[in-house]
Amino acid sequence: MSARLLVRARRRLDSFQLDVDFEAGSETFVLFGASGAGKSSTLNAIAGLLHPDEGEITLDGEMLFRRELGGARVNLATRQRGVGYVFQNYALFPHLNAADNIGFAVRRQPRAAQQVEKMLERMHLSHLGKHYPHELSGGQQQRVAIARALAHRPRLLLLDEPFAALDQPLKERLQVELLQLRRELDLVVLYVTHNLDDAFAMGDRIAVLQEGRVLQRGRPEDVLAEPADSDVAQIMGIRNIFHARVTARSPEGVQFDWDGITLQAGDEASVDTGEWATLYIVPEEVKIIYPDVPLSDTVSHNVVDAEVNGYQRAATHHSLRAKVSNGAIVETRFAPSAYSELDLKAGAPLRLALRPAGIRVLRQRRGKRR
Amino acid sequence: MWAPLLLSLQVTVAATLLIICIGGGLAVWLARREPRGRALIETAIHLPLVLPPSVVGYYLLIVLGRRGPVSTWLEWDLLFSWPAAVIAATVVGMPLMFQASRAAIASVNPDLEQVARTLGASELGVLWRVTLPLARRGVIAGVVLSATRALGEFGATLMVAGNIPGRTQTLPLAIYDAVQSNDTDLANAMVLLMTAVGFVSLWWVRRFDIGPRPQRSGTPV
Repeated sequence: MSARLLVRARRRLDSFQLDVDFEAGSETFVLFGASGAGKSSTLNAIAGLLHPDEGEITLDGEMLFRRELGGARVNLATRQRGVGYVFQNYALFPHLNAADNIGFAVRRQPRAAQQVEKMLERMHLSHLGKHYPHELSGGQQQRVAIARALAHRPRLLLLDEPFAALDQPLKERLQVELLQLRRELDLVVLYVTHNLDDAFAMGDRIAVLQEGRVLQRGRPEDVLAEPADSDVAQIMGIRNIFHARVTARSPEGVQFDWDGITLQAGDEASVDTGEWATLYIVPEEVKIIYPDVPLSDTVSHNVVDAEVNGYQRAATHHSLRAKVSNGAIVETRFAPSAYSELDLKAGAPLRLALRPAGIRVLRQRRGKRR
Repeated sequence: MWAPLLLSLQVTVAATLLIICIGGGLAVWLARREPRGRALIETAIHLPLVLPPSVVGYYLLIVLGRRGPVSTWLEWDLLFSWPAAVIAATVVGMPLMFQASRAAIASVNPDLEQVARTLGASELGVLWRVTLPLARRGVIAGVVLSATRALGEFGATLMVAGNIPGRTQTLPLAIYDAVQSNDTDLANAMVLLMTAVGFVSLWWVRRFDIGPRPQRSGTPV
């Protein structure tokens, strides 16, 4: 996919240094990270509401901003950037009705009324054009905000936590609509969120941000499967991160000493014997062993004694936290129907198999605590 | 009674226009920016609220007098003419306009102005189509209050414009004269008129200040 938006921006902010670098094509590109990671500042820099100390921003070959040693300075005014921006709280004009909000950018253009009408229709808002923002529901306000941002035909749409205030079914419907709209209008969409489900639902690719820097870029499922380092793993909500020392390497994999437990990992990690490494044990790859059933091949490695520490039900999976013999807490995740005949009350003893394929070695960021 | 009333209206209208331009301009400037010395500038603008009218009048005498800058540079001798009364009313009324409209403009959600910029609005367009419509209650309140204050201006006016019947004698000065000369009927009529005007304007401002429509979007009402 050819890049349409190139962003390289550095800016000293109150609490951290923004230093982002990424490119996006005709896709939904998600900026993912905790609040204060610099996601909104990045959007503001692209929209021209925040001026980087240094960097370059290009959209479809047009220079929006450039400030660096030896180059001519460019700083296009916000109003000339052709960017649609949907703010977190929608920022609808309270003194204008829905139609006038949508028509704000185009009201001087010929056929503005028809354009607004078409946009209202496209967003299922035709009957609400005369309504003021405070007379609209959250989902309707959101639709008006998106329609308004798209009315002047921007090439790039910036969305800052656009669905954070909406309930789940509504959110899912709007997300699907938004993806359709993106394809129809061939937009570059930058989508800021701190919600992992949103990132997966929307993102063709994601960039994981922390303290103003992009830690990793890629397809969301790839980033989740192979986080570049322990910071990314934590931001992606990955539990089961442990430190262990490498005791042996063999063709089958690496052997670790994890606080007294010997672990066999299938990962061909570039670690040397004697080194410390950060491990991530994939929760779905932790299996509970039935006491009376002989061990099958798949669970014959890394069997540890444990005791149930907690049990949690979610709609799509159940998860169990178990305290293993070295005192660490390991989380395992399984289908709601699994293990239903086992007694998994807190304190109950059980045995776990940590499948070698589910033990991954994470790179440790240099010069970082932890 | 009619000559002072007409003159008062003339002075008040002129002063209010000046107040809207200067006070409103200062409010727009200082509501969103933090220039160096902002506190100093704001304090100076507010000063006529607390100074005795004679002090304000004294300063105006210096500025507008024969050796003052207006007289020497612009060669415009303002003292003891109705424009001097306009200037006195402007200086005294300005703080009310500034205060009310600056607060109203500052309370407009800055995101709304930002989003207007992304929608192609120029700075003037943002002011005209977003900021002022949303701040209009406070701005109108400021205009009404400062106009009423300008109408009632007495002390500084007396010092720079004098009390010349038919030329610089505004309603408040005419009341003073009427009381001095024991013309109780005339004094009563004018006092009642001034009270009514003051009452109505405060009443009106109250209606404007209370129960504003929701200014911030995002929270469905």
